[in-house]
Amino acid sequence: MATNYYVPEDSVPLPPKHADQLTTACDYCIVACGYRVYRWPVGSGDGGLTAAENALGVDFPTHALQAWVAPAQHNVVMHKERPHNIVIVPDKETTVVNTNGDSSMRGGLIAQKCYNPKTPTRDRLTRPMVRIHGMLQPVTWDFALDIAAAVSKHVIKEHGANAYSVKTYSYQFIENTYAITKFALRHVNTASFTFHDTPSNVTSTPGFRDAGFDNFGPSYEDWGAADALMIVGTDPYETKTIIFTQYIMPGIHRGMKVVALNPRETAGIAYIKKNGGLHLDVNPGTDTLVLGAITRVILEKGWQDKEWIDKWVNNKWESNSGFGQGTRNTPWQWRTTWGKFQTKGFEDYKKWLFAQKEYEPKYAAKVAGIDVKKIYKAAEMMAKPRANGRPVKASFGIEKGGYWSNNTGTTNAISALATICGAGGRPGQVVGRFGGHQRGGQSGGKYPRNKSPEKVEGRRRRSLDTDRYLVSGHTRLAHVIGTTWIQAMCGSQGLHKKFYELVVTNPHQVRSHDKQEIIDTLKKRADSGGMVVINQEIYSRDPITSRFADIVFPAATWGEEDFMRANGERRLRLYQQFYDAPGEAKPDWWIIAQLAKRMGFDGFDWKNSNDVAEESSRFSRGGRKAFHMIKVYAHRNGRTLHEQLRMFGTDGIQGPTFINDKGELKGTKRLHDTTLTEAQVAEMIGPDGAQAATVIGKKMTHFNTQTGKVNLQKHPWELFSDFWEWLSPKKDELWFSTGRINEIWQSGFDDVERRPYVTQRWPENWVEIHPYDAKKRGIESGDRVMMYSDRVAAFKDTILAVHKDHFQFSELMKRGHIELSKAAVTAIAMVTPAVKKGVLYANMIDLKQPSNSLSARVVDNVTGNYRFKMGVAKIRRMGDSPYKKQFRSMSFAPRNIV
Amino acid sequence: MNDVKKEDKSAAAHGKCMVSRRQFLLYSGASAAAVSTVSISLFPGTSEAKTMKAKVLGYPRKLIAKLSDLKDHQPVNFNYPNDGPNTSCMVVKMGNVKSGGGIGAKSDVVAFSYLCTHQGGPMQGTYKAVEDQRVLGQCPLHLSTYDLRRHGIIVSGQAYQSIPQVLLELEGDNIYAVGMMGLLFGHRENLMES
Repeated sequence: MATNYYVPEDSVPLPPKHADQLTTACDYCIVACGYRVYRWPVGSGDGGLTAAENALGVDFPTHALQAWVAPAQHNVVMHKERPHNIVIVPDKETTVVNTNGDSSMRGGLIAQKCYNPKTPTRDRLTRPMVRIHGMLQPVTWDFALDIAAAVSKHVIKEHGANAYSVKTYSYQFIENTYAITKFALRHVNTASFTFHDTPSNVTSTPGFRDAGFDNFGPSYEDWGAADALMIVGTDPYETKTIIFTQYIMPGIHRGMKVVALNPRETAGIAYIKKNGGLHLDVNPGTDTLVLGAITRVILEKGWQDKEWIDKWVNNKWESNSGFGQGTRNTPWQWRTTWGKFQTKGFEDYKKWLFAQKEYEPKYAAKVAGIDVKKIYKAAEMMAKPRANGRPVKASFGIEKGGYWSNNTGTTNAISALATICGAGGRPGQVVGRFGGHQRGGQSGGKYPRNKSPEKVEGRRRRSLDTDRYLVSGHTRLAHVIGTTWIQAMCGSQGLHKKFYELVVTNPHQVRSHDKQEIIDTLKKRADSGGMVVINQEIYSRDPITSRFADIVFPAATWGEEDFMRANGERRLRLYQQFYDAPGEAKPDWWIIAQLAKRMGFDGFDWKNSNDVAEESSRFSRGGRKAFHMIKVYAHRNGRTLHEQLRMFGTDGIQGPTFINDKGELKGTKRLHDTTLTEAQVAEMIGPDGAQAATVIGKKMTHFNTQTGKVNLQKHPWELFSDFWEWLSPKKDELWFSTGRINEIWQSGFDDVERRPYVTQRWPENWVEIHPYDAKKRGIESGDRVMMYSDRVAAFKDTILAVHKDHFQFSELMKRGHIELSKAAVTAIAMVTPAVKKGVLYANMIDLKQPSNSLSARVVDNVTGNYRFKMGVAKIRRMGDSPYKKQFRSMSFAPRNIV
Repeated sequence: MNDVKKEDKSAAAHGKCMVSRRQFLLYSGASAAAVSTVSISLFPGTSEAKTMKAKVLGYPRKLIAKLSDLKDHQPVNFNYPNDGPNTSCMVVKMGNVKSGGGIGAKSDVVAFSYLCTHQGGPMQGTYKAVEDQRVLGQCPLHLSTYDLRRHGIIVSGQAYQSIPQVLLELEGDNIYAVGMMGLLFGHRENLMES
């Protein structure tokens, strides 16, 4: 592990002419910048200072924006069992994403990710392990897999498939997610299945889905092409950095105005403000109100895009029209059976909105804690026709600050606002998520929703909440793949306690050398109401690996296997293997295949990752990153799918993909593009429409709804207000929210502990506190503080809701389904006016100081997503931290200095 | 590697010494004796101090400013370690705010490269003092900001390393640049022939 004793280097070897060159993309955030790997054997000679002597083809010293190699971009790895130098730098030749070779700090330092026992990566998991006599001991793959398979089969047979819980990443490459979901959903067929960031397998943005917007419809170019851009719940400079620097910043230079909703003023927001933008510094959870109030002002002034609404918003009849089985069985209609969201079209929505007192600007501003003038100003910026009567081209981008607070309400409110502003279906007038992790999910099975014991009022069952199911004691085997499970969820200290109880305090612990005896012991654990834990990981995580796992499978990852993945504009690339995986580590698809075969499942006989990718391709058809036609095209040309993508390099190709009548392979720049002409569509897919294996979804030129037009939906505040009011800070409590930070965004899973420079900058958990709140509590920057609460609400039961409102917070509370627990987390205080008065803002997911333990473990009553950003805490000074007085590590300079 | 000309050939001794000096800077704290300057606390005693110039091998010892000429918050520009490309630096007295590697009675005089370590953006004119914080940035290219009180560590942004800090010595009223911590943007080594 890295320490914060970091000494900078002042020289670096340059790649020589004879270095191998391979393309890849960054492993971290959604943007997925293109990178180039230079590899040459140690001792074979380094590159020289002139363009003729180095592989970069530039003379040194280089100029600003030219290629350069920073010392941290060099590493030494094993390739075919021989030591090789590698240099990994942003691809200066790429024409997309990080055009001209821009890069973030995460990607810029990615060479340090590679396993090298001389660096803090030395603790990579390299051997399969089984916990024997309390210690995880290296064993053979066969030994570990045989035990895992035997216990798994037993649990499924004796306790049912739902007792086998699979908690996995959703993003770590198409080949792996396909294998994992094929195993968990198609074969084990468990409803106790979910991804790393949610307790149940549900949509992240219900409002988008129901309105008809794909989360990732826009192209990156669109984010800089509007007149006015609204950003909700994120600062894309902190997260999605390169979208900001390569697309939004140039847009601002051209005159684009930005409106940002965020309780903090970060570097990007400070820049936005300096350049004519507006910052709405809202209280956590109040975005819904502010968005609704802005919509109301626009409608009062008559600034809405009437032409767009007439043409593209469903009217009364269209709202009720169905397809296939009719509306009853669509997720949209399922959510609207209460009559709470559905409208009869624009006039009906307007009437509803004007009748809600919560959306009066004065009220909304008061609850949100902002100046009401900002609501009027925002409405004007987003929608007031410009001087010459030209309508405003507006775009809307959201992220987790918005949808992980009031999930259903905020996503519906932003959809409605965007729609009346005419956004969603034209270049530079788009609606979407900016994104979190990259898009590496490809399902190999269907989620068995009907097997979920949980049902909300209305018609459909809801995906099983794996946390509550575990807390209720139903989970007998937890198969955890590439996530901490515990710290990544809310109210996590309560969850930790339950894991401990089920795994560690159970009397059936392995104390034998004998495989059969070990299997029998673990079976007894499961049969006696305890829980067995299988963990696939790249590093040992505390506590899931280090304290709870019975069986550990070491995984091979980025750079250690050929993998495919898409980014936030559906751009598919091959992430090439360029060095040997450490020790006996194997890719997750291989691990799953070995386990599945031992459990008697068929269809897991893949030889390599391309085999998995090629099998998965047909299931991608119709989806936003459909890559099946790349395979068809590749096979026509005598190549494999992976080989074809390798040829596309860092530019890749944007899904969905098609082959046109000329036999050309075509990608898709943006979804929902209502401006596409017939000729343009013909150029993509041929004049006669879909042929052979091609599948064309209506999302290409229309929206994802029953009619292809947008559903304009209501966003009633009362579904959320009881929770908001109960949670609101009492006495000396402050709002407690969490978020990410540029330097460690989506890279925390390995870089924060293993890049000395990152460790030096962010050595531990931190919390921003406003000077007013700090002074009252005697807190200064650099103080070590304790954040704590005895009011962490935890929803603890798996229930069937019968009557309406059974999932409403106040009703859950009344019926005894909410338990109040305690949480305590330490951090280093950063006193700054950049965070709103009355709000604490801490790092999301510090493994050792888990901030999420202070967030309420209560799901959105409609969808089942957590409200990660919503908590309250008290805070007190413990004393000085070392960072207060020395100059080596951390920084207390505010991020909003411009 | 023969294409790099260093002013002294004993690179091993140079490296050894530079590491210890870098470490000194990183490991020094605000709680260290406030009156100390780098030169005095690192090499106490006159005989050590005399040999010091010879020990900081490779990097030239260059007179860059007079302490009495420095006005608070007004950076003075100079080039270091030579006059080649990408060597623009500045020395600044940061208004009595004690800083890592700072010299002078208040340890508030520091010197840094002007080139953003991300993509070489020029940061002339971006020095800022906000309350007791001192930063360089935002870089005009991609907005990186560096903390000048803390050895140029990144505050927010894209850079792969801190902004290189110029090691300073004070002799009477003369401020000398004597070394550099971190690789200058665009260089393979700081002391390379341009």
